[in-house]
Amino acid sequence: MQTNKRQRARSKEAVVASLAEILTLIRLGRANTRLAIEESSEYGRAIVADRLATLTDLGLVHENAAGESTRGRTPRLVQFCADRARIFVATLGSNSIGAGLVDLDGNLVTEHHETTDLAEHPDKIVDRILRLIDWTMSRQLEGQEVWGISIALPGPVIGLSSSPFERQNQIVEPTLVNADVLQRLFQAHRVPVWLRSSVETMTMGEYTRGIEGDVSNMLFVKLGRQIGAGLVSNGQLYRGAIGAVGLIGQLPVAGEPVGTLDGLAGTDMVLREGQKAAESGSSPRLNEILDRTGFITVNDVCQSAQMGDTPSIDIISKSGHRIGATVATLANMLNPELVVLSGDLAQSNDILLAAVRESLYRAAHPLATRDLRITRSQMGSSASLIGAGHIAVEALFEMRTMRQWVDLGSPLLHPNFAEKSDNTPAEAHAGQDGEER
Amino acid sequence: MTVSGLGPHGESPSPPERVVLLPEDIRRAKDRDFRVGIAMHTLDSDWSRLLLNGMIGTFGESGVVVTEVIDCKFSPDRQIEALERLSAQDLSVLISLPVANASVAQAHKDISNKGVGLMLLENAPTALIPGKDYGGLVSADNFGLGQMAAKALSDFIAPKTKVGVLGFQADFFATNQRELAFARWMERNRPDIELVSTRFDTVEEAGAVGRRMLQEHPDMAGLFVVWDTPAESVLSELSELKIPMTTVDLGKFSATSLASGGSIVGIAGQHPFKQGVAAARTTISQLLGYKIPEWIAIPGVPISRATVLEQYQSIWRTIAPQEIRDAFFANQSDP
Repeated sequence: MQTNKRQRARSKEAVVASLAEILTLIRLGRANTRLAIEESSEYGRAIVADRLATLTDLGLVHENAAGESTRGRTPRLVQFCADRARIFVATLGSNSIGAGLVDLDGNLVTEHHETTDLAEHPDKIVDRILRLIDWTMSRQLEGQEVWGISIALPGPVIGLSSSPFERQNQIVEPTLVNADVLQRLFQAHRVPVWLRSSVETMTMGEYTRGIEGDVSNMLFVKLGRQIGAGLVSNGQLYRGAIGAVGLIGQLPVAGEPVGTLDGLAGTDMVLREGQKAAESGSSPRLNEILDRTGFITVNDVCQSAQMGDTPSIDIISKSGHRIGATVATLANMLNPELVVLSGDLAQSNDILLAAVRESLYRAAHPLATRDLRITRSQMGSSASLIGAGHIAVEALFEMRTMRQWVDLGSPLLHPNFAEKSDNTPAEAHAGQDGEER
Repeated sequence: MTVSGLGPHGESPSPPERVVLLPEDIRRAKDRDFRVGIAMHTLDSDWSRLLLNGMIGTFGESGVVVTEVIDCKFSPDRQIEALERLSAQDLSVLISLPVANASVAQAHKDISNKGVGLMLLENAPTALIPGKDYGGLVSADNFGLGQMAAKALSDFIAPKTKVGVLGFQADFFATNQRELAFARWMERNRPDIELVSTRFDTVEEAGAVGRRMLQEHPDMAGLFVVWDTPAESVLSELSELKIPMTTVDLGKFSATSLASGGSIVGIAGQHPFKQGVAAARTTISQLLGYKIPEWIAIPGVPISRATVLEQYQSIWRTIAPQEIRDAFFANQSDP
């Protein structure tokens, strides 16, 4: 009796393991015909046929388009159903909020960005995220389920587990702690919720969709009021001991005046210096903008620099040289193949990029810069949304996690999640992927 | 006026003044024999006609030949066909106003993959990235327009009532922005008002959708329609409609209704002529090798009954038609 039970359990384990393995091959595009799946997985024809039938019934794959024949008749192509479900994604910046939906291949289906003020009451910010979720779902869902919500926050998110269902002990952006982001999002939609820092999501968005060529080691630098960095090492996001990687804005800048990189090269400095140039009249262009609108924006300074305004060029160059010197130190230590600069400071003009390059090549070791490429972000603010989606999708389809739900057809039926999702969100989020239990 | 919105990928706005063509640039453009094709969402609106006037005139002044202007009639299929046809021509740049999002994204990507420059108006399909898949986007500040329409309507709405939002079903950056901005303004400034929303698929059916909405919510105290042509469809269908409405675009119909004290009580006006000029200048700048902004946004203007004639002149660059002037002066004594 005991032996039969164990055999059945082992048999079920074997089935879900093969389902997960075959789905992974199809999802990642490693095999797209029955023959290719048999060859890649080393499962026999009957098992592959059975598992494909199950995955098709569960709506996770479909076979239709004709593939290329290698011998005999044309095989049918097996494809992953990326439209089976959606992930809601949002990103919070110091003055903007972005929201969107991604499919299960991590493609952005829709996105919207608007200005916001992070100094507002945190509850209002979460209210707005919830409104945008409702609006986006009413607009874009065509019968798909939502399998998760992934949010990028302006600061580090500390203490994460590797589970798709976040632990309750994560510490989030200080201004949002009181709003209990995780709890409110979970209570409203009863799906897994991921929180990450926006630098991490931007890094992954840029790495997975923005860059060209085969790159394994990338340093991503986000330039804003605060300057942060993300690191991809050997194709993986490096999160450090507790998830607090890349707080480079706190690094001291060499020389005079004394200060940190945030203070001496971030957008606050650009704004302050731009305001001075406008008020003193040393920049006629900024002076005219100030007269016309009553204020100066970072974008005004960037655009004026791009148009040849000398005081604006000096401000942006100063920022670029300081950033370049810091990035040179990082390049000496980490030896990336690619440095990507992002944020309005980098996107809206060529001056900053030139200054960073100049300073970096001067200060870095020749070996560290021998094959180093420095570019600006290709994805802009979309990078954060794509990265947030990527983090959620990868977590849902992580092999050990997937084995817990693949035969049920939906991660929302994952036993650790389904059992507890009627209870408190903290419990629901405390589940750890369960294969080892 | 300042710009309230962000670009389709979160870009900060650049004002149209950012792109300037110097006499030297115009001389260089004339020497280069540039050719441009244009695929519009529709040619059946005053907005489209004005935008094309601004764009084509500016191209002409710089020696750029417009080879064809195609009316895609809001149809993704027609636009895909139009883009395929235009991209087979020897064009320097193709200017498109994408009629939808996902359904026309690949067709637009194919344009840049073929090495033809692409400039967008009003809408950017989600999968397309500026600087990579297209040069830049020139659009109105649609978020600002939605906020203006909300503010204008709010003045006519009693406390604790219901307001309808009639949106566009197609996934379209401009109308999405207006709808979201209208709702956000109301949530923040008139939390006492309950919003009800519905959407129409085509301009022609907007009137019928509006009628159904009113039947479901007979207590509706006001209505926002995302642009003027469907607003006209609603008013044609519901001639008995007496609730206040706001919309976007100062077309002839909406201007007449506003001037005559009709249902339209406020309009968020765009500057399509100025937008057309900015789009042409941006295109020429890119062709000459200058770095262009990813998103150029043209601020809107709030138009009330009191300012309708002067704004008509400013937007249309001509005197308002007799019927609008007659309506305005006949109602001048009304409050």
